[in-house]
Amino acid sequence: MQSYWFGDVSDGLCKLFIGDSNALIDRVRSISSSMDSFIPLEWEQAVLCGACCGRIDYLARLQAVCIAAAERSIREQYSGKDAELLQMVRTLDEIDTVINLLSERAAEWYLVRHPAFSRKYRRTPAHVLVKTMSEKSKGALGRVAGEIEQLAETRTILAKEVSARANDVMPNTSALIGGLVAARLLSHAGGLLLLSRLPASAIQVLGARTALFAHLKTRSPCPKHGIIFQHRRVHNAPREVRGKVARVLAGKLAIAVRLDYFRGVADPDFLDAAQERIDAVGKRSEP
Amino acid sequence: MIWIGDVLVSQGEGGVYNERILGGARVWDPHRSKMSALYHVGTGVELTPGMRVLYLGAANGTTVSHVADYVEVVYAVEFAPRPMQDLLEVSRRRRNVIPIMADGARPEQYAPLVESVDLLYQDVAQPEQAGIALRNCPFLKTGGILVLMLKTRSVDVRKAPAEVFQDTLDALTSAGLIVQESVWLAPYHHDHAAIVCKKPVL
Repeated sequence: MQSYWFGDVSDGLCKLFIGDSNALIDRVRSISSSMDSFIPLEWEQAVLCGACCGRIDYLARLQAVCIAAAERSIREQYSGKDAELLQMVRTLDEIDTVINLLSERAAEWYLVRHPAFSRKYRRTPAHVLVKTMSEKSKGALGRVAGEIEQLAETRTILAKEVSARANDVMPNTSALIGGLVAARLLSHAGGLLLLSRLPASAIQVLGARTALFAHLKTRSPCPKHGIIFQHRRVHNAPREVRGKVARVLAGKLAIAVRLDYFRGVADPDFLDAAQERIDAVGKRSEP
Repeated sequence: MIWIGDVLVSQGEGGVYNERILGGARVWDPHRSKMSALYHVGTGVELTPGMRVLYLGAANGTTVSHVADYVEVVYAVEFAPRPMQDLLEVSRRRRNVIPIMADGARPEQYAPLVESVDLLYQDVAQPEQAGIALRNCPFLKTGGILVLMLKTRSVDVRKAPAEVFQDTLDALTSAGLIVQESVWLAPYHHDHAAIVCKKPVL
């Protein structure tokens, strides 16, 4: 017997699928046929079956149900809690880039207006400079600096939201590495399911693509860490154990992500043991 | 194929992606579409009004909309939700585009939806592109044409594109397909090749 979207065909006899439009959509989404014994569909069978009354009608009906099925699949994929977090963290990183670019450009402009001004020997943080520019500059430059300040405010709010959402979506991972970095890992992998399928070694170098492929192609050393370097445990670790910390942390993260995907709640026992293990590696070389 | 001077066009409802209109026809830009690039650098395959096409890796439906202008029906398979949203919009405006949200590497998922086709067109960013094409060959009529747009960089970035190209040609030939044409799509697309094969009559 061969199952097609409109019904089942065996020995030249066709049994029409009976059900409302919802049931038909479910059928289209779940149906599958082994390719070994596959007999290609012939649309004339659908007419014999009584599913449609001609070629144009056949295609119209098939198209309608396929569109509905795809719409439902899209909605399902977007309904996951990680889908929005992904967009949030990507927006956050993009805002950072925009703020940096605009600040640099505005500073160059400001220097032209104030030839005596230099940033050398002054520890003026970028946001203070932007504030000065927005207060002291007339016209468009002042407005640009003002926009940068606004954007920085939005960024702060968004960062808090990302952290909070990450704590909710990935409680174990966030506990180990912090909400922001956890969300960035998620963004690089493309989703919680995809991240949970990654081996620890891949999580360790996630975000170090250029260095990784340089290593695979040439004889350059392999990267020790990617995004996880952003966590204080890795970048505060002494140089000689940094790779080790990154590896152990990535190992625990791989477990944590799977806990997050399959259970979705924090596991205190696992977290305590993992934290202890990671801290132990960081300390090992110290006297 | 319809040419106005040296510009490839297709006849259909315009405005899909703000494409240029020339003499009432939609300009099919070889820089945007690999299919169009194939017609510019090589022969390709003549699209005819009666053709049924299985299109793997339909993406946003840009190329799909042009192919649909020429043929009877296009079964457009796409896996990712984001481009699928655009493809659905194209389908709603064109009666002969059937959007299927499935993985081209798993034809059993959409076999109950698709008929035998005259043209199998594949443009997917996957490592195992020859394998995916061969798995979809049961949908191809004997004498039908396979057009494989080979993204050599998706197969293996460490290998030279020429090597990937040769490996893929070997895989298709040893599976019994007859290679009619194989060209690089430069200068329109870099590290991309087009392979046109015929499924032999047994």
